[in-house]
Amino acid sequence: MLNAILGLACLVLTAVSLLVGPADLDLRSSVSGLFAGGDEAAMIIMQEIRLPRALLALTIGISLGLAGAVLQGLLRNPLAEPGLIGVTSSASFGAVAIFYTGLAGASLYALPAGALAGAALSVVLLLAIAARNGATLTLILAGVALTSLTGALTSLVLNLSPNPFASYEIIFWLLGSLRDRSMSHVWLALPLMALGWLLLAASARALDALSLGEEAASSLGIRLSATRLLVVLGTALAVGAGTAVAGAIGFIGLVVPHLVRPFTDRLPSSLLVPSALGGGALLLAADIAARLVVPTRELNVGVLTALIGAPFFLWLVVRARRELF
Amino acid sequence: MRGCPADRKGQRPLAPPSVLPDISPARGEITHADDETNLPPCGGDGRQPRGGRRTALLSAVFVSTLSTTAHAADLPRVMSMNVCTDQLVLLLAEPDQIASLSDLSLDPSLSFLHTDAAPYPKNSGRAEEVFLAKPDLVVTGTFSLHNTTSLLETLDFAVEEFAYDQSVDTIPGEIRRMGALIGQDAKAEQIASTYERDLADLRARQCPMKPTAIAYEQNGVVLGEGTLADSVIDAAGLTNLATELGYSAMTPLPLEELVSHQPDIVIVSEPMADAPALADQIAHHPALRALETSRIGAFVPRGAWACGGPFVIEAVRALTELREEIASCDPAR
Repeated sequence: MLNAILGLACLVLTAVSLLVGPADLDLRSSVSGLFAGGDEAAMIIMQEIRLPRALLALTIGISLGLAGAVLQGLLRNPLAEPGLIGVTSSASFGAVAIFYTGLAGASLYALPAGALAGAALSVVLLLAIAARNGATLTLILAGVALTSLTGALTSLVLNLSPNPFASYEIIFWLLGSLRDRSMSHVWLALPLMALGWLLLAASARALDALSLGEEAASSLGIRLSATRLLVVLGTALAVGAGTAVAGAIGFIGLVVPHLVRPFTDRLPSSLLVPSALGGGALLLAADIAARLVVPTRELNVGVLTALIGAPFFLWLVVRARRELF
Repeated sequence: MRGCPADRKGQRPLAPPSVLPDISPARGEITHADDETNLPPCGGDGRQPRGGRRTALLSAVFVSTLSTTAHAADLPRVMSMNVCTDQLVLLLAEPDQIASLSDLSLDPSLSFLHTDAAPYPKNSGRAEEVFLAKPDLVVTGTFSLHNTTSLLETLDFAVEEFAYDQSVDTIPGEIRRMGALIGQDAKAEQIASTYERDLADLRARQCPMKPTAIAYEQNGVVLGEGTLADSVIDAAGLTNLATELGYSAMTPLPLEELVSHQPDIVIVSEPMADAPALADQIAHHPALRALETSRIGAFVPRGAWACGGPFVIEAVRALTELREEIASCDPAR
């Protein structure tokens, strides 16, 4: 039931996203431009500008929601989230480091390669820290340190680029945007993200067992190292590929699992699909708002998700204060 | 590198003779001749290594002439702190009049005369550098460095500011003004009047048929009303779509709007080959490429309309020729 509602929300918001844009297209020419063709301009706008944007918002939202739910389950930590623990910003840094130094020419393929490597490295690092010291606080602090470090390095690389536009792109890499993406970005990111979803979903049973504690999980026949590997690769693929094409979009993976959890049986595995769909819906909604709030100037979508997510995060911290300290 | 950019790239050092009659005699003929003949056949991206070698070679020559010459002693030594004044100084001043140029003068996307700027010392627009150089005159733009400018003025340096807002018609005035400031009136008059004549000739080629054009820069920023590019587009007999849509100065235009108006010409800027930025990706967006009736390309020679100067005529010329290609004034065709 929950999944059906969230799925419907995704569909409706995708449709709304397709109808929102600076070009004045009425409903009829939008629909005919999307499916049939008709007017050349309407067709190009729908198929080459709005469709990739809506698809990326949906799939990146799914990636972030799913990765958040899985990380919270694996680390048994309500504050785990790719953005907060430094995975997204590491992915940004990886993409920036490879693209702007011109190591791979101006090829777009450099972006996911760098982002995936950055994301994977950060998850490995965080798991190493979290595995040795299971305390919630350690993970969050390590994540904060990693986020600041990679954010600073991203800014540094962009500032050092001789291209005058590079330093403006700090905003994109730290706050994310879906402006003027194209189908080539979709084809670049979607296959990698889909592979990441499969890997993350494959960890579902292990996450349930892990909710009983690591020893109990081992006695149930769960191989922890294999689960960790699945989650590392899955997160790197899903979050890294999304970040490569849309920059760092934060807080989706934090907010969504908490919002949908009360409507599930609270097993980590039954949280995965609702979190994924909820993430897609939330990012679609945020991206629509980013275009509508200030009609003449588009906002970075990461600003909006942070505006929703950061107070929520603060509330979670206050609520979980006793457990944390 | 798509294809062979030789025709456009190679054109730059050679093209301006009609406008800039005295550009090579003005400074180091030896190196100029040498440099021109050594150009790689395909332009390529030879500017970095070429510039580096030349700088090293030339600064040695330059320093030695500077220390021995007494010939320009009566002409003011000038220090330029803005990429646009850099180029006016380069055109007009004797080599040993130039104390230093801004470091942006080497940027090929902003500075049309970037190869000529190579031999001279560079400054990064700080007041301390002015103190060390002790020039007779500092020229800069009104657009930036306000703090530096006012500091220098309180310290009794002669500072002359050149406005950033320009059009094709204000350029001759700026050339003459710079010429008067640095004691090169005759040369300025010659360059300015050649420019005025060329501009009038190009304007005479306009006709009632005015295709629409839009300058779509990095990040989808358009150059609207009040920009130099707007007056260039107008002088070339085109309609600037950005101005028609009510955009002024440099404003981002959503790609959707550009697509829905289907301009005849989309002028994109050439990316920096060795320093990629996402900003350049907009020119390769499939939505632009899908516009079947639009001509899309880097039609304006690099750096030709970033600053006001006689080289702006090259931008007018390039766009005029493009317009005549897509919409001939000749009713018979």
